[in-house]
Amino acid sequence: MKEEKRKIYYLFSPYLRIFHWIMVLAIIVLFITGLLVTKPVTVLGIEPTYTSMSMDWVRNIHFIAAFAFCAAFILRIYGFIVNKGDRLFPRVWEGHFYSETIDVALHYMLLKPHHAPFLRNPLARASYAGLYAMVLVEILTGFAMYYMTEPSNIGGILFSWVNVVLGGEMMTHWVHHIVAWLIIVFAIGHVYMVLRADIMEAEGEASSMFSGVKFLEHVPKDAGEVEPPKTEK
Amino acid sequence: MDKRESMWDLYLKKGMSRRTFVKSCVALTSLMGLSTDQVSKVVEAAEKKPLPVVVWIHGHECTGCDESFIRSGAPLASDLVLSQIALEYDHLLSAASGEPFEAHLEETIQKYKGQYILCVEGAACTKDNGVYCMSGGHTFTHTLQHAAQNAAAVIAYGTCAVSGGIQAAKPNPTGSSGIAQFAGSTPVVNVPGCPPIPEVMTGVVMHVALFGTVPPLDGEGRPKQFYGNRIHDTCYRRPFFDAGMFAESFDDAGAKAGWCLYKLGCRGPETYNSCGNLRWFQGMSYPIQSGAPCIGCSNAHFWDDGAMTERLPKFGQPIGDVDQIGAVMAAATAVGVAGHAAASVVQKKKRIADEKKNEGAGE
Repeated sequence: MKEEKRKIYYLFSPYLRIFHWIMVLAIIVLFITGLLVTKPVTVLGIEPTYTSMSMDWVRNIHFIAAFAFCAAFILRIYGFIVNKGDRLFPRVWEGHFYSETIDVALHYMLLKPHHAPFLRNPLARASYAGLYAMVLVEILTGFAMYYMTEPSNIGGILFSWVNVVLGGEMMTHWVHHIVAWLIIVFAIGHVYMVLRADIMEAEGEASSMFSGVKFLEHVPKDAGEVEPPKTEK
Repeated sequence: MDKRESMWDLYLKKGMSRRTFVKSCVALTSLMGLSTDQVSKVVEAAEKKPLPVVVWIHGHECTGCDESFIRSGAPLASDLVLSQIALEYDHLLSAASGEPFEAHLEETIQKYKGQYILCVEGAACTKDNGVYCMSGGHTFTHTLQHAAQNAAAVIAYGTCAVSGGIQAAKPNPTGSSGIAQFAGSTPVVNVPGCPPIPEVMTGVVMHVALFGTVPPLDGEGRPKQFYGNRIHDTCYRRPFFDAGMFAESFDDAGAKAGWCLYKLGCRGPETYNSCGNLRWFQGMSYPIQSGAPCIGCSNAHFWDDGAMTERLPKFGQPIGDVDQIGAVMAAATAVGVAGHAAASVVQKKKRIADEKKNEGAGE
């Protein structure tokens, strides 16, 4: 049996990890309640007023989850400030980002057996930027619908422009729905990619979102972006 | 120029009492959606301001807005037209008047330049230089542009004038669009609806007439006092929505019991209008009250947001509504992921086998 020497890199702060799992929970809750709001289920055999599936409940859960999700961004932002490893924005301003992304993409297209080692590969980082963009669209369209119950209050003033830009509130609903599905598509791809990387490369990809660390055999290309590895194994 | 009469002058001339006049002013105040402490301002304006000159023109439309207008109960449309505004020109009322009346329009525009109110019903037809909508030898867009740019304010009545209307439905053969682009720098008040509520129509023109300014407008240029609330949020059937009590079809027990029409495609949650609080024809009823889901007639593009009896528009034919498209996307992704996983396993096995072969050859 070949002995493998691996180094431990500390990447994700607890703030990012907690935020991540709040996000997971929020997305699941928001997605399910969102579908129920659009197409309410018919509850048979019980007076609708007394069911736990009443629109009032479903909507309130949706709104609470949405506000909790937005509030959780405080953790994400704090982690971003205090910990280098949390800074996941794809470095599109650096030339090597593009060649590295192509390298990784070719690997995932099964055209190359390996890709260069990364702590956080550029393709994944670009997809996270995409996820945040989608979440931003959901927040904007969501609040645009939510606050327009009272267009003259502060929320209405802050978000009513979204309905105007999209060309009417029906379009806001439409965009809110399609982007919600795109987030689910992202989630399917994300879970698959993480599990695949975990199994194929055994670098602790999946457990890193609990422990915050990854185990790498080779020196990763983006090692300079985080703290040096702490202990050797 | 002859002295122009105010509303009060006209009341005096007709021998109506001061009491009747003040009562009318109070009615007007509430009608315009103003608070009661504005009564004195309304009275003052009605006493001193000369009756506003109004020019009323019609483009691509069905004149249904006028049908609505003449049903205004407070003030009566007849009161408004005869004693509260000075209606100098109206396409509809003078269809058979011929050239002298066309000359009168030009005269009015010149005489009251920058002072008159222009009411517009109907869409502007923009394709092929506007030849699909003509009157008096001119295209409607020509008349509109000329009249609008010399007006004090433009009121766009009906969804046609605001955003093109039914004739703007895909594929929009006549290039119909809202009239705002022809108004130049003149302020435009959008009063959408197909048709707008009668009292909203009279209320907006009275506001502009009495105060000489356009009412407070929202982001889409609609008067806030009439378009400030969703129909959904002012609907008397809202408690049924909150409780999850929905009519599932037009003839089920829920529909008969007056439950929420959300599942039958009600556009109340996306539509801003006064149907929920003012209702129609002196508060008699409104579509939802009569058991028909709101079609969102004061929204731009409501004609293309079909099907109207379903919750979500089916833009993505033949797949269906946005959630069905999304489900197909998610399923396709899951299948793709599974395929990729299988291919990855195959690739890895091959790689390991190759490596073993190479090691064996090396030794």
